[in-house]
Amino acid sequence: MSEVRAVRNLRICSKDCLCLYVCPTGATDTETGQIDFSKCIGCGACSKACPSGAISMVPYQYPKQQTKDDLVIAKLNKLIQSKVEQEQMAEYIYKNSNDSIEKQLAKAIIRANRLMTEDLYREAGFMLPQSKNTKDFLKNLLQQTKDETLKKDIEKLIDLLDFNE
Amino acid sequence: MKKYICPICGYVYDEEKEGIKFDDLPDDWKCPLCGAPKNLFKAEAIEVVVSEEDDEEELREMNYGEISALCSSLARGCEKQYLEEESKLFTKLANYYKSKSEIKESSSFEELVSKINNDLETNYQKARSVASEKEDRGALRVITWGEKVTMILKSLLEQYKNDKDFIKNTKVYVCDICGFIYVGDEKPEICPVCKVPSFKLLEVERGA
Ligand code: SF4
Ligand code: SF4
Ligand SMILES: [Zn+2]
Ligand SMILES: [Zn+2]
Repeated sequence: MSEVRAVRNLRICSKDCLCLYVCPTGATDTETGQIDFSKCIGCGACSKACPSGAISMVPYQYPKQQTKDDLVIAKLNKLIQSKVEQEQMAEYIYKNSNDSIEKQLAKAIIRANRLMTEDLYREAGFMLPQSKNTKDFLKNLLQQTKDETLKKDIEKLIDLLDFNE
Repeated sequence: MKKYICPICGYVYDEEKEGIKFDDLPDDWKCPLCGAPKNLFKAEAIEVVVSEEDDEEELREMNYGEISALCSSLARGCEKQYLEEESKLFTKLANYYKSKSEIKESSSFEELVSKINNDLETNYQKARSVASEKEDRGALRVITWGEKVTMILKSLLEQYKNDKDFIKNTKVYVCDICGFIYVGDEKPEICPVCKVPSFKLLEVERGA
């Protein structure tokens, strides 16, 4: 099996060009607009033919998570902790306010803090869902929870993700 | 004659070219590129060096709010790799843990501002000095973006305190990549913080 497959960025694709013509397997020729990766052999012809740069070749297996310095992680975690608290404070304001403008501002603050936290986590060792860090995190969650449906979801995730170490 | 720099987008106000002293600009003057208020501008940079002190961070369990945020971060990671099912499952986990996470009782915008100040005065500085010492470019990147977004948060809350209606007749957008909040009628062409094109700046609607 090839190490890469083609994916199409539907926001850029103009849906009228050569990728269909050059693809040896017909993988680009789908109703959904996305490339059928069960047919894609990863030859890259479509990506080269695309005039809009709408097709990228992405790897099946991502490289291992880079190791991060413990002290850097500790400092990022400190920021994470603070942003999560701020999200919760804004959440309280949102839920308890009757003022539509105050609520709107609180909502924007909730969203901004969540996005900053997500980004911080990426740099704190969780860039790749396939990493060992993610695997350990999920296994930990699985042990802690007693909720049966949640357990099933976590198990399914562990099963689906193609962990690389 | 000095130069003043927008800490959000890097726009330079050059007193010499403009012919007007920065201090003489009206208080409601804003960055012509990104809308950052005048009081955020800084005179051309003098590097701040923070003394290195090693406060031990104790290892602790993640709380529900943090678990939720990590799950939504991983959901985005899956989405970028076109792993739809995995992304949905992570989003489901994120929502579950969000619903379990406690809400800070009786919070106010004032308390929020004091947390923000602590981030700007302490947490970002420490994180930056460690990340530069360890030459962690990724960490430096997230620190730079986050610090800018946090500055904007602070200035929005200050404006809100002075005039609760300052967003009444205009719109609010949040950049879906970095979290930058933009208040204005027309969104900028690219996000001034992370430079993503404007379709990623999503409007925050005002409820009834
Ligand atoms: S990489 Fe090759 S097989 Fe796959 S969609 Fe493109 S042209 Fe077709
Ligand atoms: S060549 Fe590129 S732009 Fe044209 S249809 Fe194919 S993916 Fe879309
Ligand atoms: Zn600016
Ligand atoms: Zn942005």
